[in-house]
Amino acid sequence: MAGLRKRRRVRLIVAGLVLLAAAAALVGYAMRDGIEFFRSPSQVVEAPPPPGERFRLGGLVEEGSVVRGQGETVSFRITDGANSIAVTHVGVLPDLFAEGQGVIVTGHLRAGVFEATEVLAKHDEKYMPREVADALKEQGVYRGD
Amino acid sequence: MRPALALLLRDLRLALRAGGGAGLGLAFFLTCVLLMPLGIGPDLAMLSRIAPGLLWVAALLAALLSLDRLFQADLEDGTLEVLAVSALPLEAVAAVKALAHWLTTGLPLVLAAPVLGLTLGLPAQAQPWLVASLAAGTPALSFIGAVGAGLTVGVRRGGLLLSVMVLPLYLPSLIFGARTVALAAQELDPARAFLLLGAITVLSLGIGPFAAAAALRINLR
Amino acid sequence: MSLWEFANPARFMRISGAALPWVAGLAAVILPAGLAWGFFLTPDDYRQGSTVKIIFVHVPAAMMAINIYGMIVVASLIWLIRRHHVSALAARAAAPIGATMTVIALLTGALWGQPMWGTAWAWDPRLTSFFILFLFYVGYIALWAAIEDPDKAADLTSVLAMVGSVFAVLSRYAVNFWSQGLHQGATLSIDRDQNIDPVFWLPLLACIAGFFLLFLALLLVGTRTEIRARRARALQLAMAG
Repeated sequence: MAGLRKRRRVRLIVAGLVLLAAAAALVGYAMRDGIEFFRSPSQVVEAPPPPGERFRLGGLVEEGSVVRGQGETVSFRITDGANSIAVTHVGVLPDLFAEGQGVIVTGHLRAGVFEATEVLAKHDEKYMPREVADALKEQGVYRGD
Repeated sequence: MRPALALLLRDLRLALRAGGGAGLGLAFFLTCVLLMPLGIGPDLAMLSRIAPGLLWVAALLAALLSLDRLFQADLEDGTLEVLAVSALPLEAVAAVKALAHWLTTGLPLVLAAPVLGLTLGLPAQAQPWLVASLAAGTPALSFIGAVGAGLTVGVRRGGLLLSVMVLPLYLPSLIFGARTVALAAQELDPARAFLLLGAITVLSLGIGPFAAAAALRINLR
Repeated sequence: MSLWEFANPARFMRISGAALPWVAGLAAVILPAGLAWGFFLTPDDYRQGSTVKIIFVHVPAAMMAINIYGMIVVASLIWLIRRHHVSALAARAAAPIGATMTVIALLTGALWGQPMWGTAWAWDPRLTSFFILFLFYVGYIALWAAIEDPDKAADLTSVLAMVGSVFAVLSRYAVNFWSQGLHQGATLSIDRDQNIDPVFWLPLLACIAGFFLLFLALLLVGTRTEIRARRARALQLAMAG
């Protein structure tokens, strides 16, 4: 009885290990071409999404592109250096939203303009005193706000 | 395999005849889904947007419902001790009981889901993915739940404790399951979320029986 | 002397009793000093103003919250393999501290997020992960509290910690899949360029050391209390029987 139980348990352990390996293989297969959280303007220009598809667009807010004062609508361009896409958004922008800063918007393209329903500003992981930032900006090393 | 099959049939019969555990899980699922439009309002556009998450959360709660009795009745009347010294290893006992739990609570949800998806205005292209995601995802709920049931089998009125412990373990399945349906509803490609959902289930099938058996052994000591 | 000799409860009581005043004293000096340094003697950040100062509480608390969960998993493993009671009781004593650290990290994060992101709470992967981490702590503590027999409770909570750690890691990645983050990347890392000016970094380091010492002191007190409670229980049983 006990011997039979032991033999069966060994078989179960082998089955368990096979399942773990299968799970790892599934994850590997699912992740084979990396995760894409948002698309860059260049990706969108190269492979335009079908009209009406909702997706996330990420990049830097182009310097000098922010236009306010059309009611609640704000428009700006998101760039990745190579390409840029015009974005409009109705509503309030977060505090950290600024030209030259990273931003991720959710929405869809309509006639070449990205209509964003949501704007997320990303804070970078840098902390430095205000004076240092001013000094860096004077030297033209740092191009933050 | 014959003793495992005998145990499975016994558990299924008990679930179907005594106390109606099988039907109640489904009834709970239906009630849960019905409550949402009543609470939120009959706006079908909004309901169709939240339908994937709603159906998956309801499935999670329905799976929890009958979990605390998974091993408890057998511990109380001594059946579990007999099973522990039988020719069937305790890991197999745990796996068979988890399977019986899925057949009586998970499978009915899979079959009922398309109707509920329809009433919530889920887009047609998402319907097959809803069924597929529940079919691939709910076994994990039973097998992870078996671990929680094994851990709390000796605790009187362990149902609430069981929910608090097990629900966090369900989160990966919930995320990938609801995501699969939501992506399909937005006409995006749900394949990756679906594969990851399957990976979680396969992992749970691999880990669950062993952890549950370890917990049962500790509780039988 | 091997590390395992600490696992003898009598020896642990002796050594920890001698070490406790020093650890607690050091924590009582370094933590307030680090916080005072951070709050009053550092300049304002170039974009965040004085709100930046919350990192001196937020970052150490968040680091402790994660590492304490890791410590519980390791201590549970040691208990399952080597049956050292001190290990199991240290895991039990660590859990409420870890849960408190998680709450501190969430609250200070909310205080920082309110002016900086414009929202106290966002369903961001990192925030959500911490919320989930808190739920894991609650489940673990609840299981300890529910089972009377201490050895059985140690065994069962260890099984939960093992299984939980697998699913905690899975949740971490699942949550990343679920939403794109608002939270900045990690500032402190060993292998990448330094992202933080030494003016902030040094007091932050002092605060991290202070939080760690505080945790160590609380852990020693908690573990000693658990050992005494077990002794009292054993005496009670002996007298009753």
